[in-house]
Amino acid sequence: MPWRLVWRYLAAHPFRSLFTMMSMVAATFLLCLLQALLASLDVAVLNAAKNRLIVQSAVSLFVTLPHSYQGKIEAVDGVEDTCKWTWFGGYYQDPENFFAQFGADPGSLRRMYPEMEIIEGSYEEFERKRTGCVIGDLVAQRFSWEVGQTVPLIGTIYPRVDRKPWEYEICAIYTSNAATLDRNTMFFHHDYLDESIDSGSVETIKGVGVYAAAITPGVEPTRVMADIDALFENGPQVVQTTTEAEFNRQFVSMLGNVPALLSSIGASVLFAILLATLNTMIMAGRERTHHIGILKALGFGDGTVFGLLIAESMLVCALGGALGVFFATGIGKALEPFLISMFPGFAILPETQVFGLALAASVGLLAGILPAWQAMRLRPVDALRAEV
Amino acid sequence: MTGVPLSYNVRSLMVRRTSTLLTVIGIGATVAVLTGILSLRQGFAQLFEASGREDIAVFMRPGATSEGESAFPRDRVDILVKSTPEIDEGPDGRPLASAETFLAVRMRKLDGGETNIPIRGVQPATFVLRGDDLEIEGERPTPGSDEVLVGRALTTRVPGARVGEVIVLNTTPFRVVGILDHGGPFASEIWGDADRMMAALERPVFNRVIARMRPGTDMEALSKRLENDKQVPAIVTTEREYLSGQTAFLSNMLLGLGAILGMVMGVGAVFAGVNTMLASVAARTHEIGVLLSIGFRPLSIFLAFVRESLLLGFLGGVIGVLITIPLDGIRTGTTNFQTFTEIAFAFRVTPGILVTAILFAMLLGLVGGAWPAWRAARMDPTEAIRHV
Repeated sequence: MPWRLVWRYLAAHPFRSLFTMMSMVAATFLLCLLQALLASLDVAVLNAAKNRLIVQSAVSLFVTLPHSYQGKIEAVDGVEDTCKWTWFGGYYQDPENFFAQFGADPGSLRRMYPEMEIIEGSYEEFERKRTGCVIGDLVAQRFSWEVGQTVPLIGTIYPRVDRKPWEYEICAIYTSNAATLDRNTMFFHHDYLDESIDSGSVETIKGVGVYAAAITPGVEPTRVMADIDALFENGPQVVQTTTEAEFNRQFVSMLGNVPALLSSIGASVLFAILLATLNTMIMAGRERTHHIGILKALGFGDGTVFGLLIAESMLVCALGGALGVFFATGIGKALEPFLISMFPGFAILPETQVFGLALAASVGLLAGILPAWQAMRLRPVDALRAEV
Repeated sequence: MTGVPLSYNVRSLMVRRTSTLLTVIGIGATVAVLTGILSLRQGFAQLFEASGREDIAVFMRPGATSEGESAFPRDRVDILVKSTPEIDEGPDGRPLASAETFLAVRMRKLDGGETNIPIRGVQPATFVLRGDDLEIEGERPTPGSDEVLVGRALTTRVPGARVGEVIVLNTTPFRVVGILDHGGPFASEIWGDADRMMAALERPVFNRVIARMRPGTDMEALSKRLENDKQVPAIVTTEREYLSGQTAFLSNMLLGLGAILGMVMGVGAVFAGVNTMLASVAARTHEIGVLLSIGFRPLSIFLAFVRESLLLGFLGGVIGVLITIPLDGIRTGTTNFQTFTEIAFAFRVTPGILVTAILFAMLLGLVGGAWPAWRAARMDPTEAIRHV
């Protein structure tokens, strides 16, 4: 394969090669980001812990469960530990500054979620302090919060009767390398919420959003799930116990047609870039008719003639693809903190990079085939006769 | 100065039809992605904002950003209505106000999976307030009975959503007595008697109060006064304002997505357009030489090529429009994460969107054609004419 010839051809039309490459950069960039978005949707489902179950109301996401359920769930054979999770729904200063906060049991939260890694402050301090909280590193970054600081949160679901914001003292900052524990979250003492309701600081009904339950290794989860559901079959609140994966999946399925929409956008991008590259390669093939005649007359085989155009096409696309992947990785990294609240687990992974490169190369291959085939079929005599 | 005739452009596009077609379709795909997203956003906005009424006020608890978060105990509702003389009188001479409950309830979907359907408990005054906005096929639920209306959009999405069938909420069965049609979000809801809903769902509070206001009521002043009320603090907005607030997030996200995709894909399309025009200029070097020699000014040449490029863009825009128009009316669904409920809405293609599409495509053509046209205009006539 005369590679020098491929380079020469590319350099003969520097602008055209450059522009084709640039449109490939734009396309690969978009395809990588779209793919990463789609993949991020499933991360929390695929990586869900096998030993954790979620007990939630069978009626609605917004219906809370009685406190009395916790002891009963713990008494079920095979359940080792339970942790309350109650959505707080507060914001910092302005509704725009919204992030997830949960009331939880500090002790079992630590035991059941080993993926929580404390990077600053002390978790023991959090366990001791009734108004303490732990926050994800992304929350800390977003609001420039530090350990020791007291932060005011306005409760939308739990507004205080005195109309003042809730105050929490940051005792520790955590990070997590698993998609099952969001780094954009804050945890505080569930007891603090309960006591505030008991003392009349908040006028509402006490309850627990969901219970997370850890099961003994080796125990059949479906049996435990059925046992828990059976306990509360007759109310007062019917529950639905699911695996963590199933619980996470319900949020993905809420997106409805959004994943399909993203996929069809990706398909349009791919289609447009294929046409653009095909256009360029047809031009390249057409102008080179005379050259091809010379090559053939010199004794270069059909395979080489075919390969030359394919190689040119794939080279331009692969270069563009590589640059596109490079930008997607860089810009994706920069976007991560913004996207991760909507798409936890968003990241440009090696799989995405390979995906981008593979698509770019395939476009190159596909776009090269038609002109390469035409070139291969040319008769040297006709080709030589063509205008230069 | 004589311009180059338009027929020259049309003919040269025809001569290079493969290239023209590939470029035009590529631009069309780019435009279609942008207009597709814009019409999705349009459909969403139309469903919410357009159906919100100016004369209906929504009362919520301070701090709440949507009705699900708001709560009013029964006695407070009475005080609130009595202490707000701005509320208009109904046909019976009493204040025309209705307290409603709201809860997103889990339901199985007909096509598998689960979804969250909004359940609204209403008082008879709601029907007076809404009047002809509601179209009911069948009957209204009798106050105090376990009967419900089902939104038209739900009939094909959840089981049991037909007159005569039964829907179970928590442990209470409700008989479907009518189908509810509404131009806005209510067509995706289930309506029943507020008191019965409270009992069935074990949630003894109202979520919001709606009322017809006397003409000329200063809503902002009223809201300010009520927010600081000692007995029943509340915030008030018009229904239209409330609904547009509910959609702001998704709407902005779609607009942002459309802008980013349009921009990046547009860059790709511009590069592809530059390539087409460059090749077109290069192939016509001899012709340009002739045109210059017979007295056409460089500016005329420049304008001629820019025009050709604009024409390419325009044709691309037309293709984009042709792809977009069939989307009109196609229904799709996602979750409004402000309330965590599923909403069904349709693509809405408006003349404004189509004009945007054409203008965007012509802009792509203009940007892509300017530099090749400039190169054409700067050609040396003697050199160019010698080019065979």
